[in-house]
Amino acid sequence: MKRIFIDYEKCVACKACEIACAIEHHPDKSVLSLVGDKKAHSNVKVIAVENINFASSCRHCDPAYCVDACPSGALKRDRFMNAVIVDPYMCKACAMCAMVCPFDAITFKKTYNSPFGRDHAVKCDFCIERIKIGLNPACVDACKTKALVFTDSESFVKSKEKADLKSFLVGHSKEPANVKLFKELKKEML
Amino acid sequence: MKIVTVGCGMAAAEFVETLRTNGSNDDIVMISNEPFIPYSPCSMPFYISGEPIDTVFWKGINFYKRYNIKTILGRPVTNIAVENKCVEINGSDRIFYDKLFFASGSRSYFPDDNWLNIAGVFGFKNLQDILVIDNYIKSEKVKRAVVFGGGFIGIDAALSLWKRGLNVTVVHRNNRVLSQMTDQEGGIYATEKLREKTGINIILKSVVKNIIVDSGKLKGVTLDNGDSLAAELLIVTIGVIPNTEMLGVNTKGIEVDFDLKYHNDVYVAGDVASTKHMITQKSGVYATYPNARSQARSIAYDILFNKNLFRGSLNTNVLKKHIEFPIISAGYFEGDPYTYCDEEIFRRIYLKDDQIYGYLLVGDTSISGFIYNLYISQKKVGNNIMKFLSLKRGKAYYIQALSV
Ligand code: SF4
Ligand code: SF4
Repeated sequence: MKRIFIDYEKCVACKACEIACAIEHHPDKSVLSLVGDKKAHSNVKVIAVENINFASSCRHCDPAYCVDACPSGALKRDRFMNAVIVDPYMCKACAMCAMVCPFDAITFKKTYNSPFGRDHAVKCDFCIERIKIGLNPACVDACKTKALVFTDSESFVKSKEKADLKSFLVGHSKEPANVKLFKELKKEML
Repeated sequence: MKIVTVGCGMAAAEFVETLRTNGSNDDIVMISNEPFIPYSPCSMPFYISGEPIDTVFWKGINFYKRYNIKTILGRPVTNIAVENKCVEINGSDRIFYDKLFFASGSRSYFPDDNWLNIAGVFGFKNLQDILVIDNYIKSEKVKRAVVFGGGFIGIDAALSLWKRGLNVTVVHRNNRVLSQMTDQEGGIYATEKLREKTGINIILKSVVKNIIVDSGKLKGVTLDNGDSLAAELLIVTIGVIPNTEMLGVNTKGIEVDFDLKYHNDVYVAGDVASTKHMITQKSGVYATYPNARSQARSIAYDILFNKNLFRGSLNTNVLKKHIEFPIISAGYFEGDPYTYCDEEIFRRIYLKDDQIYGYLLVGDTSISGFIYNLYISQKKVGNNIMKFLSLKRGKAYYIQALSV
Protein backbone atom coordinates (compact mmCIF):
# COMPACT_ATOMS: atom_id res chain seq x y z
CA MET A 1 0.00 0.00 0.00
CA LYS A 2 1.36 3.41 -0.96
CA ARG A 3 1.99 6.02 1.71
CA ILE A 4 3.42 9.51 1.89
CA PHE A 5 6.90 9.60 3.42
CA ILE A 6 8.95 12.53 4.52
CA ASP A 7 12.62 12.54 3.73
CA TYR A 8 13.40 15.23 6.25
CA GLU A 9 16.96 15.77 5.18
CA LYS A 10 15.65 17.20 1.95
CA CYS A 11 12.98 19.49 3.37
CA VAL A 12 13.84 23.19 3.11
CA ALA A 13 10.67 24.38 4.82
CA CYS A 14 9.46 26.26 1.75
CA LYS A 15 5.84 25.35 2.62
CA ALA A 16 4.93 24.60 -0.98
CA CYS A 17 3.18 21.48 0.34
CA GLU A 18 1.04 23.50 2.74
CA ILE A 19 -0.06 25.82 -0.04
CA ALA A 20 -0.73 22.99 -2.47
CA CYS A 21 -2.85 21.19 0.11
CA ALA A 22 -4.85 24.33 0.86
CA ILE A 23 -5.47 24.91 -2.86
CA GLU A 24 -6.48 21.30 -3.39
CA HIS A 25 -9.03 21.53 -0.58
CA HIS A 26 -10.40 24.90 -1.62
CA PRO A 27 -13.45 24.94 -3.90
CA ASP A 28 -11.84 27.54 -6.20
CA LYS A 29 -8.58 25.60 -6.54
CA SER A 30 -6.62 28.81 -6.81
CA VAL A 31 -3.90 30.32 -4.70
CA LEU A 32 -5.46 33.79 -4.78
CA SER A 33 -8.61 32.53 -3.10
CA LEU A 34 -6.60 31.45 -0.09
CA VAL A 35 -5.68 34.99 0.88
CA GLY A 36 -7.62 35.98 3.94
CA ASP A 37 -9.98 33.05 3.62
CA LYS A 38 -10.70 31.73 7.12
CA LYS A 39 -12.22 28.55 5.76
CA ALA A 40 -9.09 27.59 3.85
CA HIS A 41 -6.98 24.96 5.53
CA SER A 42 -3.95 22.79 4.96
CA ASN A 43 -3.73 19.25 6.27
CA VAL A 44 0.03 19.23 6.21
CA LYS A 45 2.16 21.44 8.38
CA VAL A 46 5.84 22.21 8.17
CA ILE A 47 7.40 22.12 11.59
CA ALA A 48 10.87 22.81 12.83
CA VAL A 49 12.53 20.79 15.54
CA GLU A 50 16.06 21.76 16.50
CA ASN A 51 17.13 22.95 13.07
CA ILE A 52 15.42 20.13 11.28
CA ASN A 53 12.40 21.03 9.18
CA PHE A 54 9.88 18.65 7.83
CA ALA A 55 6.31 18.40 6.70
CA SER A 56 4.13 16.60 9.18
CA SER A 57 0.73 15.10 8.62
CA CYS A 58 -1.48 12.11 9.33
CA ARG A 59 0.22 8.73 8.85
CA HIS A 60 -2.99 6.80 8.25
CA CYS A 61 -2.01 4.38 11.01
CA ASP A 62 -3.35 0.85 11.03
CA PRO A 63 -4.74 0.25 13.56
CA ALA A 64 -5.40 3.93 14.14
CA TYR A 65 -5.90 5.43 17.56
CA CYS A 66 -8.29 8.00 16.16
CA VAL A 67 -10.60 5.53 14.41
CA ASP A 68 -10.85 3.48 17.58
CA ALA A 69 -11.71 6.57 19.60
CA CYS A 70 -14.45 8.09 17.44
CA PRO A 71 -17.85 7.65 19.11
CA SER A 72 -19.84 9.06 16.21
CA GLY A 73 -19.04 6.84 13.25
CA ALA A 74 -17.23 9.74 11.59
CA LEU A 75 -13.79 8.22 11.11
CA LYS A 76 -13.63 5.41 8.62
CA ARG A 77 -11.09 3.51 6.64
CA ASP A 78 -11.39 3.96 2.92
CA ARG A 79 -11.30 0.68 1.01
CA PHE A 80 -9.30 1.98 -1.90
CA MET A 81 -6.23 3.31 -0.11
CA ASN A 82 -6.84 2.06 3.42
CA ALA A 83 -6.68 5.74 4.35
CA VAL A 84 -8.30 7.18 7.46
CA ILE A 85 -11.03 9.60 6.39
CA VAL A 86 -13.27 12.00 8.35
CA ASP A 87 -16.91 12.30 7.37
CA PRO A 88 -17.84 15.90 8.27
CA TYR A 89 -21.54 15.01 8.16
CA MET A 90 -21.17 12.57 11.07
CA CYS A 91 -18.40 14.39 12.95
CA LYS A 92 -19.48 16.16 16.14
CA ALA A 93 -16.14 17.84 16.80
CA CYS A 94 -15.90 16.04 20.12
CA ALA A 95 -12.08 15.75 19.90
CA MET A 96 -11.95 12.15 21.12
CA CYS A 97 -9.77 11.47 18.08
CA ALA A 98 -7.45 14.43 18.54
CA MET A 99 -7.06 13.52 22.19
CA VAL A 100 -5.25 10.29 21.27
CA CYS A 101 -3.45 10.96 17.96
CA PRO A 102 0.26 10.82 18.84
CA PHE A 103 1.22 13.05 15.91
CA ASP A 104 -1.26 15.86 16.49
CA ALA A 105 -2.55 15.29 12.96
CA ILE A 106 -6.13 16.36 13.65
CA THR A 107 -7.31 19.93 14.03
CA PHE A 108 -10.72 21.55 14.13
CA LYS A 109 -12.01 24.09 11.69
CA LYS A 110 -15.05 25.38 9.94
CA THR A 111 -14.37 24.52 6.30
CA TYR A 112 -16.17 24.52 2.96
CA ASN A 113 -17.20 20.97 3.81
CA SER A 114 -18.91 21.88 7.09
CA PRO A 115 -22.51 20.76 6.69
CA PHE A 116 -23.77 22.44 9.86
CA GLY A 117 -21.91 25.73 9.92
CA ARG A 118 -19.53 24.72 12.69
CA ASP A 119 -16.07 23.22 13.01
CA HIS A 120 -15.32 19.56 12.45
CA ALA A 121 -12.26 17.33 12.60
CA VAL A 122 -9.88 18.14 9.76
CA LYS A 123 -7.07 15.86 8.68
CA CYS A 124 -5.21 14.54 5.64
CA ASP A 125 -7.59 12.75 3.27
CA PHE A 126 -4.76 11.40 1.14
CA CYS A 127 -6.13 13.29 -1.86
CA ILE A 128 -8.07 10.12 -2.63
CA GLU A 129 -9.79 11.72 -5.61
CA ARG A 130 -6.45 12.60 -7.19
CA ILE A 131 -5.04 9.16 -6.59
CA LYS A 132 -8.08 7.57 -8.19
CA ILE A 133 -7.25 9.32 -11.44
CA GLY A 134 -3.60 8.41 -11.28
CA LEU A 135 -2.15 11.58 -9.75
CA ASN A 136 -0.02 11.93 -6.64
CA PRO A 137 -1.27 13.67 -3.51
CA ALA A 138 -1.07 17.44 -4.01
CA CYS A 139 1.67 17.96 -1.41
CA VAL A 140 3.90 15.35 -3.01
CA ASP A 141 3.60 16.94 -6.45
CA ALA A 142 4.29 20.36 -5.02
CA CYS A 143 7.49 19.39 -3.23
CA LYS A 144 10.37 20.74 -5.30
CA THR A 145 13.16 18.97 -3.40
CA LYS A 146 11.42 15.57 -3.45
CA ALA A 147 11.35 15.50 0.33
CA LEU A 148 7.82 14.16 0.14
CA VAL A 149 7.64 10.79 -1.54
CA PHE A 150 4.60 8.74 -2.36
CA THR A 151 5.75 5.16 -2.39
CA ASP A 152 5.01 1.66 -1.29
CA SER A 153 5.27 1.54 2.48
CA GLU A 154 6.66 -1.98 2.81
CA SER A 155 9.62 -1.40 0.54
CA PHE A 156 10.36 2.01 1.98
CA VAL A 157 10.31 0.88 5.58
CA LYS A 158 12.29 -2.25 4.82
CA SER A 159 14.95 -0.24 3.08
CA LYS A 160 15.69 1.48 6.38
CA GLU A 161 18.02 0.07 8.98
CA LYS A 162 15.44 0.53 11.68
CA ALA A 163 11.79 -0.25 11.23
CA ASP A 164 10.73 1.92 14.12
CA LEU A 165 8.72 5.09 13.77
CA LYS A 166 11.81 7.22 13.68
CA SER A 167 12.91 5.56 10.48
CA PHE A 168 9.64 6.70 8.97
CA LEU A 169 11.18 10.11 9.00
CA VAL A 170 14.76 9.37 8.22
CA GLY A 171 16.19 10.17 4.83
CA HIS A 172 15.40 8.25 1.71
CA SER A 173 18.77 9.30 0.33
CA LYS A 174 21.54 11.59 1.38
CA GLU A 175 20.99 15.30 1.51
CA PRO A 176 21.86 16.93 -1.82
CA ALA A 177 24.75 19.40 -1.61
CA ASN A 178 22.73 22.44 -2.56
CA VAL A 179 20.11 21.68 0.06
CA LYS A 180 22.80 21.21 2.65
CA LEU A 181 24.29 24.57 1.80
CA PHE A 182 20.88 26.21 1.98
CA LYS A 183 20.35 24.81 5.44
CA GLU A 184 23.75 25.84 6.67
CA LEU A 185 23.11 29.36 5.47
CA LYS A 186 19.75 29.35 7.16
CA LYS A 187 21.27 28.30 10.44
CA GLU A 188 23.78 31.13 10.18
CA MET A 189 21.00 33.58 9.65
CA LEU A 190 19.03 32.48 12.71
CA MET B 1 -24.39 -20.90 18.73
CA LYS B 2 -26.93 -18.39 19.96
CA ILE B 3 -25.58 -15.07 21.18
CA VAL B 4 -27.87 -12.66 22.98
CA THR B 5 -27.19 -9.06 23.94
CA VAL B 6 -29.11 -7.27 26.63
CA GLY B 7 -28.88 -3.70 25.44
CA CYS B 8 -28.47 -2.12 22.01
CA GLY B 9 -26.10 0.62 23.08
CA MET B 10 -22.58 1.41 21.95
CA ALA B 11 -21.00 -1.63 23.62
CA ALA B 12 -23.56 -4.05 22.18
CA ALA B 13 -23.35 -2.54 18.68
CA GLU B 14 -19.57 -2.71 18.73
CA PHE B 15 -19.72 -6.29 20.00
CA VAL B 16 -22.07 -7.46 17.31
CA GLU B 17 -20.16 -5.67 14.58
CA THR B 18 -16.89 -7.26 15.74
CA LEU B 19 -18.50 -10.70 15.70
CA ARG B 20 -19.88 -10.27 12.20
CA THR B 21 -16.82 -8.65 10.67
CA ASN B 22 -14.74 -11.52 12.03
CA GLY B 23 -16.84 -14.13 10.33
CA SER B 24 -19.40 -15.14 12.94
CA ASN B 25 -22.52 -16.77 11.48
CA ASP B 26 -24.08 -17.31 14.87
CA ASP B 27 -27.67 -16.47 15.65
CA ILE B 28 -27.61 -13.05 17.24
CA VAL B 29 -30.49 -11.52 19.16
CA MET B 30 -30.36 -7.99 20.55
CA ILE B 31 -32.83 -7.07 23.27
CA SER B 32 -33.52 -3.59 24.58
CA ASN B 33 -36.23 -1.68 26.35
CA GLU B 34 -35.46 1.18 23.97
CA PRO B 35 -37.08 1.12 20.54
CA PHE B 36 -34.11 2.37 18.49
CA ILE B 37 -31.35 1.36 16.14
CA PRO B 38 -27.97 1.76 17.87
CA TYR B 39 -27.29 5.44 18.49
CA SER B 40 -24.40 7.45 19.84
CA PRO B 41 -25.00 9.23 23.15
CA CYS B 42 -22.07 11.41 22.18
CA SER B 43 -23.85 12.63 19.04
CA MET B 44 -27.40 12.87 20.29
CA PRO B 45 -27.24 16.27 22.05
CA PHE B 46 -26.67 17.77 18.61
CA TYR B 47 -30.25 16.91 17.72
CA ILE B 48 -31.30 19.42 20.38
CA SER B 49 -28.99 22.02 18.90
CA GLY B 50 -30.59 21.51 15.51
CA GLU B 51 -28.65 18.84 13.59
CA PRO B 52 -30.42 16.00 11.78
CA ILE B 53 -31.42 12.84 13.62
CA ASP B 54 -29.71 10.47 11.18
CA THR B 55 -26.32 11.66 12.43
CA VAL B 56 -26.93 10.00 15.80
CA PHE B 57 -27.17 6.53 14.27
CA TRP B 58 -23.44 6.08 14.25
CA LYS B 59 -23.35 2.55 12.84
CA GLY B 60 -25.79 3.34 10.06
CA ILE B 61 -29.56 3.11 9.91
CA ASN B 62 -29.50 -0.38 8.35
CA PHE B 63 -27.46 -1.82 11.21
CA TYR B 64 -29.74 -4.73 12.15
CA LYS B 65 -30.33 -5.74 8.57
CA ARG B 66 -26.72 -5.38 7.50
CA TYR B 67 -25.57 -7.73 10.23
CA ASN B 68 -28.57 -10.04 10.13
CA ILE B 69 -29.63 -9.41 13.73
CA LYS B 70 -32.91 -10.46 15.29
CA THR B 71 -34.21 -7.78 17.62
CA ILE B 72 -36.58 -7.54 20.52
CA LEU B 73 -37.03 -3.83 21.04
CA GLY B 74 -39.11 -1.65 23.31
CA ARG B 75 -39.55 -4.45 25.85
CA PRO B 76 -37.74 -4.67 29.18
CA VAL B 77 -35.69 -7.62 30.34
CA THR B 78 -37.13 -8.47 33.74
CA ASN B 79 -34.89 -11.30 34.89
CA ILE B 80 -31.86 -13.31 33.86
CA ALA B 81 -31.48 -16.85 35.10
CA VAL B 82 -27.78 -17.53 34.55
CA GLU B 83 -27.99 -21.18 35.64
CA ASN B 84 -30.65 -21.89 33.01
CA LYS B 85 -29.05 -19.53 30.46
CA CYS B 86 -32.32 -17.76 30.06
CA VAL B 87 -33.41 -14.13 29.63
CA GLU B 88 -36.94 -13.30 30.69
CA ILE B 89 -38.66 -10.47 28.87
CA ASN B 90 -41.58 -8.52 30.24
CA GLY B 91 -42.06 -11.11 32.97
CA SER B 92 -43.15 -13.80 30.54
CA ASP B 93 -41.31 -14.55 27.27
CA ARG B 94 -38.12 -16.53 27.59
CA ILE B 95 -35.07 -16.39 25.35
CA PHE B 96 -32.33 -18.97 25.82
CA TYR B 97 -28.70 -18.24 25.00
CA ASP B 98 -25.33 -19.90 24.69
CA LYS B 99 -23.47 -16.65 25.33
CA LEU B 100 -24.91 -13.53 26.91
CA PHE B 101 -23.51 -10.04 26.42
CA PHE B 102 -24.89 -7.90 29.20
CA ALA B 103 -24.65 -4.17 28.49
CA SER B 104 -27.93 -2.67 29.57
CA GLY B 105 -26.53 0.81 30.18
CA SER B 106 -27.52 3.22 32.90
CA ARG B 107 -30.26 5.71 33.67
CA SER B 108 -30.43 9.18 35.21
CA TYR B 109 -30.58 9.48 38.96
CA PHE B 110 -33.29 11.79 40.33
CA PRO B 111 -33.10 13.14 43.88
CA ASP B 112 -36.87 12.91 44.21
CA ASP B 113 -38.96 10.40 42.29
CA ASN B 114 -41.90 12.79 42.24
CA TRP B 115 -39.96 15.06 39.89
CA LEU B 116 -40.38 12.40 37.23
CA ASN B 117 -44.10 13.12 37.04
CA ILE B 118 -43.68 16.81 36.38
CA ALA B 119 -43.79 18.04 32.79
CA GLY B 120 -40.57 19.86 32.02
CA VAL B 121 -38.23 17.75 34.17
CA PHE B 122 -36.02 15.35 32.26
CA GLY B 123 -32.86 13.26 32.45
CA PHE B 124 -30.26 13.42 29.71
CA LYS B 125 -29.18 9.87 29.29
CA ASN B 126 -30.91 8.29 26.33
CA LEU B 127 -32.35 9.16 22.96
CA GLN B 128 -35.88 9.09 24.33
CA ASP B 129 -34.91 11.93 26.72
CA ILE B 130 -33.52 13.92 23.81
CA LEU B 131 -36.61 13.49 21.62
CA VAL B 132 -38.93 14.39 24.45
CA ILE B 133 -36.88 17.44 25.44
CA ASP B 134 -36.84 18.65 21.84
CA ASN B 135 -40.59 18.26 21.62
CA TYR B 136 -41.18 19.99 24.92
CA ILE B 137 -39.03 22.96 23.95
CA LYS B 138 -41.09 23.34 20.78
CA SER B 139 -44.57 22.79 22.22
CA GLU B 140 -44.04 24.88 25.37
CA LYS B 141 -41.87 27.50 23.67
CA VAL B 142 -39.25 27.02 26.34
CA LYS B 143 -36.92 29.98 26.87
CA ARG B 144 -35.16 29.21 30.14
CA ALA B 145 -33.52 25.98 31.23
CA VAL B 146 -31.81 24.90 34.42
CA VAL B 147 -29.32 22.06 34.32
CA PHE B 148 -28.82 20.53 37.76
CA GLY B 149 -25.39 18.91 37.88
CA GLY B 150 -22.30 20.27 36.12
CA GLY B 151 -20.51 17.02 35.38
CA PHE B 152 -19.69 15.92 31.85
CA ILE B 153 -23.26 15.07 30.88
CA GLY B 154 -24.61 18.23 32.49
CA ILE B 155 -22.22 20.52 30.63
CA ASP B 156 -22.86 18.59 27.41
CA ALA B 157 -26.59 19.19 27.93
CA ALA B 158 -26.11 22.83 28.85
CA LEU B 159 -24.02 23.51 25.75
CA SER B 160 -26.55 21.95 23.40
CA LEU B 161 -29.42 23.92 24.94
CA TRP B 162 -27.35 27.09 24.81
CA LYS B 163 -26.64 26.43 21.11
CA ARG B 164 -30.35 26.05 20.60
CA GLY B 165 -30.73 29.61 21.86
CA LEU B 166 -32.08 28.97 25.33
CA ASN B 167 -31.11 30.90 28.40
CA VAL B 168 -29.23 28.24 30.38
CA THR B 169 -28.21 28.07 34.03
CA VAL B 170 -26.08 25.27 35.42
CA VAL B 171 -26.38 24.59 39.15
CA HIS B 172 -23.50 22.61 40.54
CA ARG B 173 -22.61 21.43 44.03
CA ASN B 174 -18.83 21.79 43.78
CA ASN B 175 -16.63 24.90 43.52
CA ARG B 176 -16.03 24.19 39.81
CA VAL B 177 -17.85 22.34 37.04
CA LEU B 178 -16.52 19.04 35.65
CA SER B 179 -15.17 18.42 39.14
CA GLN B 180 -14.54 14.73 38.53
CA MET B 181 -12.32 15.33 35.52
CA THR B 182 -10.39 18.32 36.86
CA ASP B 183 -8.24 19.31 39.80
CA GLN B 184 -8.97 22.51 41.77
CA GLU B 185 -6.97 24.99 39.75
CA GLY B 186 -7.54 23.45 36.31
CA GLY B 187 -11.24 23.06 37.01
CA ILE B 188 -11.60 26.68 38.06
CA TYR B 189 -9.69 27.73 34.91
CA ALA B 190 -12.07 25.61 32.77
CA THR B 191 -15.12 26.97 34.57
CA GLU B 192 -13.99 30.55 33.96
CA LYS B 193 -13.39 29.75 30.27
CA LEU B 194 -16.90 28.37 29.99
CA ARG B 195 -18.30 31.49 31.60
CA GLU B 196 -16.25 33.77 29.42
CA LYS B 197 -16.78 32.05 26.05
CA THR B 198 -20.34 30.81 26.30
CA GLY B 199 -23.45 32.51 27.51
CA ILE B 200 -24.11 29.85 30.13
CA ASN B 201 -24.80 31.05 33.63
CA ILE B 202 -23.00 28.89 36.20
CA ILE B 203 -24.04 28.81 39.86
CA LEU B 204 -21.55 26.93 42.03
CA LYS B 205 -21.66 25.45 45.54
CA SER B 206 -25.42 25.13 45.21
CA VAL B 207 -28.02 22.46 44.66
CA VAL B 208 -31.60 22.48 43.46
CA LYS B 209 -33.70 21.87 46.57
CA ASN B 210 -37.21 22.08 45.22
CA ILE B 211 -39.12 22.56 42.04
CA ILE B 212 -41.86 25.10 41.47
CA VAL B 213 -44.83 23.57 39.71
CA ASP B 214 -48.04 24.99 38.34
CA SER B 215 -50.77 22.69 36.92
CA GLY B 216 -48.34 19.84 36.51
CA LYS B 217 -45.77 21.90 34.67
CA LEU B 218 -42.40 23.15 35.81
CA LYS B 219 -42.19 26.90 36.43
CA GLY B 220 -38.89 27.16 38.24
CA VAL B 221 -36.58 25.81 40.90
CA THR B 222 -35.45 26.88 44.35
CA LEU B 223 -31.87 26.46 45.48
CA ASP B 224 -30.51 25.48 48.87
CA ASN B 225 -29.64 29.10 49.64
CA GLY B 226 -33.28 30.06 49.20
CA ASP B 227 -32.91 31.77 45.81
CA SER B 228 -35.31 30.80 43.09
CA LEU B 229 -34.91 30.70 39.33
CA ALA B 230 -37.70 30.81 36.79
CA ALA B 231 -37.41 28.05 34.19
CA GLU B 232 -39.66 25.92 32.02
CA LEU B 233 -37.13 23.15 31.67
CA LEU B 234 -35.05 21.28 34.26
CA ILE B 235 -32.45 18.76 33.18
CA VAL B 236 -31.23 16.55 36.02
CA THR B 237 -27.69 15.30 35.54
CA ILE B 238 -26.40 14.64 39.04
CA GLY B 239 -25.60 11.00 38.51
CA VAL B 240 -26.45 7.75 36.80
CA ILE B 241 -27.54 4.34 37.99
CA PRO B 242 -26.35 1.23 36.12
CA ASN B 243 -29.25 -0.98 35.04
CA THR B 244 -28.17 -4.14 36.83
CA GLU B 245 -31.31 -5.15 38.74
CA MET B 246 -32.26 -7.90 36.30
CA LEU B 247 -29.06 -9.73 37.21
CA GLY B 248 -29.92 -9.31 40.88
CA VAL B 249 -26.82 -7.19 41.53
CA ASN B 250 -26.41 -3.98 43.55
CA THR B 251 -26.40 -0.71 41.66
CA LYS B 252 -22.71 0.20 41.69
CA GLY B 253 -21.88 -1.80 38.60
CA ILE B 254 -21.03 -5.44 38.13
CA GLU B 255 -17.49 -6.08 39.17
CA VAL B 256 -15.54 -8.21 36.71
CA ASP B 257 -11.92 -9.20 36.21
CA PHE B 258 -9.93 -8.84 32.98
CA ASP B 259 -11.96 -11.65 31.42
CA LEU B 260 -15.08 -9.43 31.73
CA LYS B 261 -17.09 -12.47 32.82
CA TYR B 262 -19.83 -12.31 35.39
CA HIS B 263 -20.60 -15.99 35.03
CA ASN B 264 -19.42 -18.79 32.70
CA ASP B 265 -21.29 -17.58 29.66
CA VAL B 266 -22.26 -14.11 30.78
CA TYR B 267 -20.07 -11.15 29.88
CA VAL B 268 -20.60 -7.54 30.94
CA ALA B 269 -19.50 -4.32 29.27
CA GLY B 270 -20.20 -0.61 29.09
CA ASP B 271 -21.96 1.45 31.74
CA VAL B 272 -22.86 -1.58 33.87
CA ALA B 273 -19.36 -3.01 34.08
CA SER B 274 -17.06 -2.26 36.97
CA THR B 275 -13.69 -3.08 35.43
CA LYS B 276 -10.06 -2.78 36.43
CA HIS B 277 -8.23 0.42 35.54
CA MET B 278 -5.37 -0.12 33.11
CA ILE B 279 -2.87 1.83 35.17
CA THR B 280 -4.05 1.70 38.77
CA GLN B 281 -5.89 -1.66 38.63
CA LYS B 282 -8.62 -0.05 40.73
CA SER B 283 -12.09 -1.33 39.91
CA GLY B 284 -14.73 1.15 38.85
CA VAL B 285 -17.34 2.02 36.26
CA TYR B 286 -15.37 3.85 33.58
CA ALA B 287 -18.26 4.77 31.34
CA THR B 288 -16.74 6.15 28.15
CA TYR B 289 -16.97 5.00 24.58
CA PRO B 290 -13.35 3.85 24.14
CA ASN B 291 -13.72 1.57 27.17
CA ALA B 292 -17.04 0.18 25.93
CA ARG B 293 -15.39 -0.47 22.58
CA SER B 294 -12.34 -2.27 23.94
CA GLN B 295 -14.49 -4.33 26.31
CA ALA B 296 -16.90 -5.26 23.53
CA ARG B 297 -14.15 -6.24 21.14
CA SER B 298 -12.31 -8.26 23.75
CA ILE B 299 -15.44 -10.21 24.53
CA ALA B 300 -16.10 -10.88 20.85
CA TYR B 301 -12.52 -12.12 20.43
CA ASP B 302 -12.87 -14.29 23.50
CA ILE B 303 -15.99 -15.93 22.09
CA LEU B 304 -14.63 -16.33 18.57
CA PHE B 305 -10.96 -17.09 19.10
CA ASN B 306 -10.65 -17.78 22.79
CA LYS B 307 -8.33 -14.78 23.02
CA ASN B 308 -8.50 -12.32 25.86
CA LEU B 309 -7.21 -8.90 24.83
CA PHE B 310 -8.61 -6.68 27.55
CA ARG B 311 -5.93 -4.80 29.45
CA GLY B 312 -8.16 -2.59 31.54
CA SER B 313 -10.17 0.61 31.21
CA LEU B 314 -9.03 4.21 31.26
CA ASN B 315 -10.68 7.28 32.69
CA THR B 316 -9.81 9.58 29.81
CA ASN B 317 -12.28 12.17 28.69
CA VAL B 318 -12.56 15.29 26.59
CA LEU B 319 -15.17 18.00 26.40
CA LYS B 320 -14.96 19.98 23.19
CA LYS B 321 -18.36 19.88 21.49
CA HIS B 322 -19.66 23.40 20.75
CA ILE B 323 -16.61 25.06 22.28
CA GLU B 324 -13.17 25.91 20.99
CA PHE B 325 -11.18 25.15 24.11
CA PRO B 326 -11.09 21.40 24.64
CA ILE B 327 -10.97 20.21 28.23
CA ILE B 328 -9.02 16.96 28.33
CA SER B 329 -8.29 14.80 31.32
CA ALA B 330 -7.04 11.36 32.28
CA GLY B 331 -5.87 9.46 35.30
CA TYR B 332 -5.75 10.82 38.82
CA PHE B 333 -4.48 14.10 40.15
CA GLU B 334 -1.97 12.79 42.64
CA GLY B 335 1.81 13.00 42.74
CA ASP B 336 4.06 15.85 41.63
CA PRO B 337 2.32 18.43 39.47
CA TYR B 338 4.07 20.08 36.50
CA THR B 339 2.18 23.04 35.09
CA TYR B 340 2.18 25.36 32.09
CA CYS B 341 -0.40 28.09 31.95
CA ASP B 342 -1.06 31.16 29.79
CA GLU B 343 -4.16 33.07 28.77
CA GLU B 344 -5.47 30.40 26.43
CA ILE B 345 -3.92 27.22 27.75
CA PHE B 346 -3.73 25.38 31.05
CA ARG B 347 -1.72 22.16 31.10
CA ARG B 348 -0.85 20.12 34.14
CA ILE B 349 0.69 16.70 34.42
CA TYR B 350 1.00 14.68 37.61
CA LEU B 351 3.97 12.36 37.93
CA LYS B 352 4.52 9.47 40.31
CA ASP B 353 7.84 7.62 40.14
CA ASP B 354 8.64 9.58 36.99
CA GLN B 355 5.56 8.17 35.25
CA ILE B 356 2.40 10.03 34.33
CA TYR B 357 -0.36 9.41 36.87
CA GLY B 358 -2.86 11.94 35.63
CA TYR B 359 -3.16 15.01 33.42
CA LEU B 360 -5.39 17.90 32.57
CA LEU B 361 -5.06 19.86 29.34
CA VAL B 362 -7.33 22.84 28.70
CA GLY B 363 -7.29 25.02 25.60
CA ASP B 364 -6.05 22.88 22.73
CA THR B 365 -5.19 19.35 21.66
CA SER B 366 -1.60 19.97 20.50
CA ILE B 367 0.21 17.71 22.93
CA SER B 368 -2.72 15.59 24.12
CA GLY B 369 -2.10 12.52 21.95
CA PHE B 370 1.57 12.54 22.77
CA ILE B 371 0.87 12.77 26.49
CA TYR B 372 -1.83 10.11 26.20
CA ASN B 373 0.69 7.70 24.73
CA LEU B 374 3.25 8.45 27.43
CA TYR B 375 0.51 7.81 29.96
CA ILE B 376 -0.76 4.49 28.65
CA SER B 377 2.76 3.20 28.00
CA GLN B 378 3.84 4.39 31.48
CA LYS B 379 7.19 5.47 30.07
CA LYS B 380 9.58 7.07 32.53
CA VAL B 381 9.54 10.76 31.70
CA GLY B 382 11.00 12.53 34.69
CA ASN B 383 11.80 16.22 34.43
CA ASN B 384 11.80 16.01 30.65
CA ILE B 385 8.10 16.61 30.84
CA MET B 386 8.59 20.35 31.23
CA LYS B 387 10.04 20.68 27.75
CA PHE B 388 6.87 19.28 26.21
CA LEU B 389 4.38 21.21 28.29
CA SER B 390 4.61 24.51 26.50
CA LEU B 391 4.83 23.17 22.94
CA LYS B 392 2.66 24.44 20.14
CA ARG B 393 1.24 22.38 17.35
CA GLY B 394 2.62 19.10 16.12
CA LYS B 395 6.08 18.95 17.60
CA ALA B 396 6.05 16.84 20.72
CA TYR B 397 6.25 13.45 19.10
CA TYR B 398 9.12 14.42 16.83
CA ILE B 399 11.14 16.09 19.53
CA GLN B 400 10.96 12.86 21.46
CA ALA B 401 11.65 10.68 18.41
CA LEU B 402 14.62 12.73 17.24
CA SER B 403 16.19 13.06 20.65
CA VAL B 404 16.57 9.32 21.23
S1 SF4 C 1 -5.00 11.06 12.68
FE1 SF4 C 1 -3.28 10.40 13.96
S2 SF4 C 1 -3.96 8.44 14.88
FE2 SF4 C 1 -5.32 8.88 13.13
S3 SF4 C 1 -4.42 7.78 11.43
FE3 SF4 C 1 -3.63 9.90 11.36
S4 SF4 C 1 -1.71 9.86 12.49
FE4 SF4 C 1 -2.81 7.96 13.00
S1 SF4 D 1 -14.10 14.93 16.48
FE1 SF4 D 1 -15.32 13.97 14.86
S2 SF4 D 1 -13.97 12.45 13.93
FE2 SF4 D 1 -13.05 13.04 15.90
S3 SF4 D 1 -13.82 11.53 17.36
FE3 SF4 D 1 -15.24 13.26 17.45
S4 SF4 D 1 -16.86 12.77 15.98
FE4 SF4 D 1 -15.13 11.40 15.53
